[in-house]
Amino acid sequence: MRAPLLFALLALAAPAMAAEPWNIPHEKAVVLKGRVVDMLCQLKGDCPPGCGAGRRQLGILAADGKLRLVAKGNIDFAGAVRDLVGFCGREIEADGLLVENPAITLFFVQGIRTAPDQPFTPADAFLREWTARNGAAAEWFRADPEARRIIAADGPYGIRGLQPPPKP
Amino acid sequence: MSNRMAALAAALLALTAPAAMAQQRVSVTGEIVDTWCNVSGLMFGLGTAHHQCAVWCTLGGIPVSIRDAEGRFYILLRIEEDEQNASNPRIATIQTHQVTVDGELIERDGVRYLLVTRVADDKGVINLTHAEHGIQPFGH
Repeated sequence: MRAPLLFALLALAAPAMAAEPWNIPHEKAVVLKGRVVDMLCQLKGDCPPGCGAGRRQLGILAADGKLRLVAKGNIDFAGAVRDLVGFCGREIEADGLLVENPAITLFFVQGIRTAPDQPFTPADAFLREWTARNGAAAEWFRADPEARRIIAADGPYGIRGLQPPPKP
Repeated sequence: MSNRMAALAAALLALTAPAAMAQQRVSVTGEIVDTWCNVSGLMFGLGTAHHQCAVWCTLGGIPVSIRDAEGRFYILLRIEEDEQNASNPRIATIQTHQVTVDGELIERDGVRYLLVTRVADDKGVINLTHAEHGIQPFGH
């Protein structure tokens, strides 16, 4: 009886999944449990249906009352709005890195699930949806039509007429 | 009984409605930045060196901030009447600009959020960092 009880307690105490570390100052691997919320709704009471349908930054309102802005998903140069918006108003578990920088606190979500007995689903919806709209690309960010338009107009430095030297 | 029901309903509403936050009118001057690259320190996240990456990250939906001279971050949740704060092409076109804005500041749980009511000044991109840092992270 004692051994199974010990194993059960260990299983409860151990993290279900450890997020991949990125060696970012102040990062901490955590599983955030809470409700997916629209940040403008939480802060201003301005609450359109469906958490803004993907047009707004989203967060996780944890059980302890802390509101965590989700800044990053598991795709390079992309956030996690597309991963979270389908869970608007619902409780989730989010595996990732909480970065408690003295200047700002952000959450980088790597996986999402809705029940403890489920595996985490990687937070890569941005790339799946981008590929469905634009087709496959080795680097979505260089192939993105809007990014190409803006960088073609203003240059890679953001100053019209200022161009980097040609590649050797 | 009806009074009890009303009290219960009020208590439930208080639990489920967004909490009222302290709000303050402010004027903020700083550079528009990609919050993640700047905070993570994984690359040099300021000025011309990082402009291209900041455009990508804005369109990718990563939150955009104003970073002031003291290193404080103000997450932009609204610019004037435009409440799209994720993947907004308009915000991507002013990435890396030095701006002064008026707005409403809301602080909660270690984060400053800013609802901009007016862009009072936009000097464009003036932080010239590319000579020292090249184009971050992968060149052009």
